[in-house]
Parts: sequence; C-alpha cells; structure tokens
Amino acid sequence: MKDAHISVRDALYEAPGPKTRKYIVIATAVSLAALALLVFVVVRQFYRTGQLDAKYWSFLARATTWKFLGKGILGTLEAALAAGAVTFALAFLLMLGRISGSRILGGISTVLIEFTRGVPTLLFIYFFFLVVPQLGIKLPAFWKIAAPVAISAAGVVAEVLRSGVNAVPKGQKEAALSLGMSGRSVFLKVVFPQAIRYVIPALISELVIVVKDTTFAYVVNYPDLMQNAKVLISNYDALLSVYLVVAVIYILMNYLLNKASAMVARRRNSPTITPQQN
Amino acid sequence: MVQEQVPVIELKHVDKHFGELHVLKDINLSVKKGEVVVIIGPSGSGKSTLCRTINRLETIDSGEILIDGVAIPEEGKKLAQLRAQIGMVFQSFNLFAHKNILDNVTMGPIDVLHTPRKEAREEAMKLLKRVGVDSQAAKVPAQLSGGQQQRVAIARSLAMHPKAILFDEPTSALDPEMIGEVLDVMTELAREGMTMVVVTHEMNFARRVADRVIFMDGGRIIEENTPDAFFEHPDTPRAQDFLNSIKHH
Repeated sequence: MKDAHISVRDALYEAPGPKTRKYIVIATAVSLAALALLVFVVVRQFYRTGQLDAKYWSFLARATTWKFLGKGILGTLEAALAAGAVTFALAFLLMLGRISGSRILGGISTVLIEFTRGVPTLLFIYFFFLVVPQLGIKLPAFWKIAAPVAISAAGVVAEVLRSGVNAVPKGQKEAALSLGMSGRSVFLKVVFPQAIRYVIPALISELVIVVKDTTFAYVVNYPDLMQNAKVLISNYDALLSVYLVVAVIYILMNYLLNKASAMVARRRNSPTITPQQN
Repeated sequence: MVQEQVPVIELKHVDKHFGELHVLKDINLSVKKGEVVVIIGPSGSGKSTLCRTINRLETIDSGEILIDGVAIPEEGKKLAQLRAQIGMVFQSFNLFAHKNILDNVTMGPIDVLHTPRKEAREEAMKLLKRVGVDSQAAKVPAQLSGGQQQRVAIARSLAMHPKAILFDEPTSALDPEMIGEVLDVMTELAREGMTMVVVTHEMNFARRVADRVIFMDGGRIIEENTPDAFFEHPDTPRAQDFLNSIKHH
C-alpha cells in the first residue's frame, strides 16, 4: 500500500511539459552556481581571516575532544528525552481538560495552554534557575533545564493532541458507544490511538524543538552538547570550528530523530487510515 | 407468532428538534421479538434520526423509548449496558480503523462483556466465517472492500449477542455490485429470527424480508403496513407518490 502515499508535489502540480522542463534545468543551474559562489566567498573569507589555521582545527583530531563532545551529546539526549516524556504527560492532561466538557476544567486548561505557549522558554528556565531555589527547593541541574523546556512545549503539544482527537471521525466514537463501551474505554481504546497517528509528524516537530531548547542548558550549568562546546571554545580559543561541528551534530541528531519517528509511524500507521473512513 | 408480549423496542410520542427543525413528530412504534421492521421514506424524512434515537446516539426532546419495557437510561453505565444489548450497523461501516478485522469483532466482547480473549477470538472467527470474511481476519479495514467491511460490521454487532440490531442505511455507501452480499447476510439474519430495524432504500429487500414497512415523511410516520399491501396499494397518497417517484428511476 506504499504507493498510496502521494507526495505533496504530485498532489499540487501536474507533470511538467517541455517548456517547464527547460525552465527547471535553467533554474537548477543558476541555483547551483549561486550556492557555489556563496561557499567560495565564505571559505575565502575564512582563509583571509586565518580561521582555517591548523591551531583552530587540530584539537578536533584528538579522542579526548570527541569523548567530551560525546558526553555532551548524551547530556542533550537525556535532558531532551526526559523533557519530551514530561511534555507528553502534561500535554495529555491539558488536552483532557480542554475536551472534558467541564467549563472550569476547560477554562483552567485553556489558560495554562495559552500561558505555556506565550512565555519564552528562557523565562521558564530563569524561573527554575533563580526563583525555585529561593523557595527552598533544590533541584539538580538536569531538572532545572528539563522541567522548563517540558513546560514550555506542553501547551503546544496539548493543542496538537486535541487537533488529532478532533480529526478522528465521529463514526468511530459512535461505533464504540453502540457496542456499550464506557466513555473512558471509547477514548483510550478507539479515539486516542487514532488521534496519535494523525499527529505524529507534528509531535516529531515538537520533539525537535525540545532538543533545540535544551541548548539553554548552559544557563543552569548542565553539561549538554552546547555547554561542553562552550568549554572547548574557551580552552582552544576556537569559536568557528567548534560551532560548525556542533551545528552539524545537532542537524544529524534531529535528522535521525525525524527518520526514526517517521519509520515507526509508517510501520504502525501504514494502511490503517484512509480518507473515506468517515 | 407469540401474542401480547412486551415489545423489544417501543417508542411512545417521541419528539425531537434540531434547532428550529422539527425532525421527529409524535413517533409511535413498537417492534416485537423476531420482527423485521423496515423504515423507508425520502431523504430528510427523519428515518435515520429515528433509528439513532433507539440507542440514544441521538437524544430526544420528549416522549419515551422503552427497550424490553424499560425506559432508556439517560447516561452512564446503565446507558452503556443498554447499548450493549442493541446492535448498530452504520452507513459508513465505522470499523475501528486502527484495529485489524478480528480485533474489531472482539473489541466489544472483551471490553464490555469481559469475555476471555481466547474465547472471544474463537467466536469472532465463527462469526466472520458466517458472514464470509474469515480469510480477511488479519487485515485492517482499509484493505477490505465496502461490502466486506459492512459484513464485518454486522459480525461485530452479532458478537455482542444483541436483542435487536439497528441498520442505518447499511447499503447506501456501497458500490452496486456489493449491495447484494450485505443484503444476503441481513436476509439470513432475519430468517434466523433476529429482531431488526432497517432504514433502507432497497425496496426489493423491504418487500422480501420485512414483516412491516414504516413510511416516513417530514418527521412523521405516514403509513405503517405489510410489505405487500404497502407496495401494491398503499393507503396514503404520499406513499403512493414516493413509490411512483422511485419507479421512474
């Protein structure tokens, strides 16, 4: 059933004719030339300013450098996974509140969702870093970054989950009710499992945002990839090379995250949901 | 025919509005055990709504609906227990899209009747065999044809051992060549004595299988008759008009 997947391009545009094919070739050539020029200018500028000197790059050949970066990667992954799990739990509760039909619960959930969506992550982090200790609560650095990142994503994820629940055709709920299933069973066994499948792509995007938000870890001195990168920079006085390497690592991490989740989604999802089921 | 027993389904003076629209007007209907009642009428006549009020997928404004002489509870566990006793087959099948065919049929028995999984699966396979889709048990609904999906939906209802089954336009979403296979299963059910309320446009089915035909128009029951009398010489001019209008197609 894989061929049932239609790419967005196929859905939006018709097959190109001879003229369009010619334009595509020209546009591609121009874009490649522009890109090559840009790379050339950047590299030349690096060279002129001495950024390509061996002293800025040689430490990247040492195993200790990579061990240190590896620790940072682990730190990032741990914080992101913990934050992701907490986000999901909070979002689930907020979503339940919004769809509960109770005015009070719905109102409280809406306020919390708007609050967490509206406040910047960094503000939550300062709260956990500066205010929470003053209240006499001692948190490890890990939670000083994981908790605020989780909270700041929770509102968005709650709304994503809700949109998934709303997208499940009404007939699914009616069929389950007509079998005599309880409201709770209907939601947990029929509606929510399908809702999740609808919103997996949006959930992955949120997880990527969570990973990126953990880069604020340096604020609370938690050794994530970014924090360790900063240590390397001050040790070797090598700003550009370290940031370049770290950026590539982040891109790879998020790319793999996307790939892995898409694979899981496709395997569990495959032909089960079709548009004509309504 | 057993005389004077409590009807399985009884509606008394049922009224319902959708906002301004008066969709059910003083509906009185009773369905005896083993009876097949077919409801026909033009679209918008309220026949689907009537069908859906019987297991309270639609609420009513006034009047009474009794199942085995007991009024339908308004909510909660009691309502769920009642729904478990009344099967429902929908126009758009509504099979659980994320479950395979076998799990679709076992969902009710396992979740509601707490039937042991193994037992539920064995019975489900028997039911799937009975409706002729046992070879598809491991597939998901989207991989089946409409006719197959609807037969699975019937098996899913039967798995709950219902007192009666409601059919809400069960063949209206099907390609013409698949209508027969679903009507065959329904005909067999009727022969076996299942109590059925069927909303349909299939006049031949109504004529062959119904014990009684209900004709609705504008939210009202206009005529209630035996199938032969209804199709040969209906009592009301409106039913006559309706029958004429479909003959011309």
